[in-house]
Amino acid sequence: MSYIKRFEQDLAYYFSELLERPLAKPLWIYLSLSHKCTYRCQMCGVVNILQGYELHKDAVKNLFDEIAAWGWDLTVVITGGEAFLRNDIFEIVEYGFAKGLKIEAVSNGALITKDLADRIISSGLKNIAISLDGAEEATHDAIRQKGAFNKAIAAINNLAESKSKLGTGPQISVWATIMRENVGELFDIILLVKEAGAECLVYHPVIVNQDDMQNTSPKARFWLKDNDIELLKQQIDKIVNYKKHHGLVAFLHDPYMWVKHFKGELTKREWKCNPFVFVNVGPDGNVRSCGSAFGNIQGLSLGECLKTREADQARRTMKNCQKPCLQTCWANPKADSLTNIIDTFIYDLKKDNIDGKSKKESLSTALFKLTDYEELLKECLT
Amino acid sequence: MLNLKEVIFSITNRCNLRCRMCDIPCGKIEELSTDQWKKVINDSSRLGAQTVVFSGGEPLLREDIFELIFFAKKNNLNACVTSNGCLIDEQVASRLSASGANVVNISIEGTKGTHDYLRGPGSFDKAASALANLRKYKIETTVASTVSRYNYEDLLYVLEIAGEYGATTVRLQPFNAIFLKDSARAGEFLIDKREIPKIEDIIHRFIDISQERKISTNPANYLFKIPAYLTGKKFHPDNCGALRYSCPINSNGDIFPCWIEASHNKLIGNIREESLYELWLSEKRRKLINSIINNGCSGCLMSCYDEVFGSRFSKAYILDKAKKVKRIASYRKLTNKALQFLKSQVIKMKLRYRFYSSYKGSVTNLLKRRLPGIFNKFRRIRESGGEDKEIILSEISRLKRKLREEIHSL
Repeated sequence: MSYIKRFEQDLAYYFSELLERPLAKPLWIYLSLSHKCTYRCQMCGVVNILQGYELHKDAVKNLFDEIAAWGWDLTVVITGGEAFLRNDIFEIVEYGFAKGLKIEAVSNGALITKDLADRIISSGLKNIAISLDGAEEATHDAIRQKGAFNKAIAAINNLAESKSKLGTGPQISVWATIMRENVGELFDIILLVKEAGAECLVYHPVIVNQDDMQNTSPKARFWLKDNDIELLKQQIDKIVNYKKHHGLVAFLHDPYMWVKHFKGELTKREWKCNPFVFVNVGPDGNVRSCGSAFGNIQGLSLGECLKTREADQARRTMKNCQKPCLQTCWANPKADSLTNIIDTFIYDLKKDNIDGKSKKESLSTALFKLTDYEELLKECLT
Repeated sequence: MLNLKEVIFSITNRCNLRCRMCDIPCGKIEELSTDQWKKVINDSSRLGAQTVVFSGGEPLLREDIFELIFFAKKNNLNACVTSNGCLIDEQVASRLSASGANVVNISIEGTKGTHDYLRGPGSFDKAASALANLRKYKIETTVASTVSRYNYEDLLYVLEIAGEYGATTVRLQPFNAIFLKDSARAGEFLIDKREIPKIEDIIHRFIDISQERKISTNPANYLFKIPAYLTGKKFHPDNCGALRYSCPINSNGDIFPCWIEASHNKLIGNIREESLYELWLSEKRRKLINSIINNGCSGCLMSCYDEVFGSRFSKAYILDKAKKVKRIASYRKLTNKALQFLKSQVIKMKLRYRFYSSYKGSVTNLLKRRLPGIFNKFRRIRESGGEDKEIILSEISRLKRKLREEIHSL
């Protein structure tokens, strides 16, 4: 994303949140293509919640047409169930790619054989993520299904092989869920996936209840208990140290927040939801940011769904939410303050190797944008 | 810190009625003597309590009840009596008035048919006459109702009765199985999920009518949780005051953390063995309370600390109302609406204060207790980015200047 585009988007997110109006488009669209899944993972309820739903490919294509027309720098993340169970998955991905969208996919790796890996690598995806919940076979299999660990590792191997064969392709990453069962193995996962050929590893804390993102009950099965917290701290130290020297791990936020999160001590000051950043489209077509759905893409366009009264209500609830959940809807911390946004823009502009005239033009555009928002704010005040 | 705010005495297990939703009279317990209760009242006063509630069974079955009320008043405590009303004839009402009872709470479950079905034949007429007698002797009365499958349709009627007899408050509390001996029977009082919209509609009307008639009720947020609770959902309020500020005492002198946590292994002690003063400040109580707070309580929707389930005067509610007011174009309409809104808020606040002053001690004490919460709310608003738009406007001007300077410097 160019810094000018990022500046414009950050500004839009900031004022959307301040004025409670959808001035910005989402940065992340999670598109759950199917309820079907090869596994019945212990911490996931998607299969049961959305039984029988699958979005028709035409509906998905319409959605891609719409979001491509926005011209917004966003990422579509294809999830499921298991998206690769669909026969038309590559048709969908290729359609999105042709429209110029950034598309990523998440899979459990169960179906990624060598042939499928070749197709994934050449499909135009930007990133393919494989879920891995433990460095030990027993841990991962206990959470997911017997044999799941070996299949996931084989999937990473196959993808890495195909990518080296073709010389190009999506980033191969691994998503690991932090939960009580695997807290002692978090660091070992790095070594394991590096050896298997992954290029990126992302950790995210477990969601206790799919229906209720804010459920952080310490009584929940996967939630870290008091005696696990110390272990988590040790693992974070190791991970941070590893990242410093070898990279591979990508943090979506400060990893020490996990400790506070599991202790229930994370405050609104440290973790701020921006309800405009993230939107989820379910296999039933329902659109939600967090909590209950506020529209359906089979009745309205996604843009219209985001402008409904229900969407306003849902965003207000998110804004006032007092239980940070460390999920993707997190606002960019730099976009939390107007001064930060402008300073980052000026800093990036100064670093850029363009001539003075272009710099002046960029600054004037920024000034113009800011004046627009100022007018809007004044209008709201009166 | 002493922290005790109210003490609830179940001074007797005996009862003259056999209500369907209560099995308390089934147990025969050796009751504390008058002197023992007096000692407890004295200790409550020493611990800083403001209110004592005489409940039962039927507290008026004890002959020394008036003496105990008088003693409580002498110790600067508010005395509340909860009764089914069957024994309150003119003479009893006059004695209650003479002894200084602040509030008498009468249970009304619904229409005559419903009430008599749940509490026994003839009980409705007696309860209604009790309300009339208490009014005659100018004792503040409140009406309580246990909401269940049998009577939720009658809630508006309860409000009517309360209005007719001049009761200041109608307090609802959903049915709870703790008073049943056989918890398997609880199912007959619960509602089906399909009935939720109906009961919610009734609660909406209940709130509207109560405001019209200026009768206090529980906070709206609490009332709206009742339907879900009656389908079996549990609520675990974060800051329930029951454990920290109140103290239920059984008729045989057993002290528990709260009525819900009244199982045998959660017994703090017995009045016959140790005084209330010692037990309240004991290490055992502290540990017990802490363990309940840390491990989570069993959950309830009892009305004793109904404010913890959320107040109607939330930030979102007020902002929402304010926005509605803003949308009206005409200035005159706007001022009228704004005035109307403020007036309705003041009336609601007044009703809430009256409700608390009758149940939970003086308004000053209520404010003392609520102020930290209000400050927390302000802190939360600040944390959640509730910046003043004016400040942001000045920030924008500053940033625009900065951008212009950058342009000139190039």
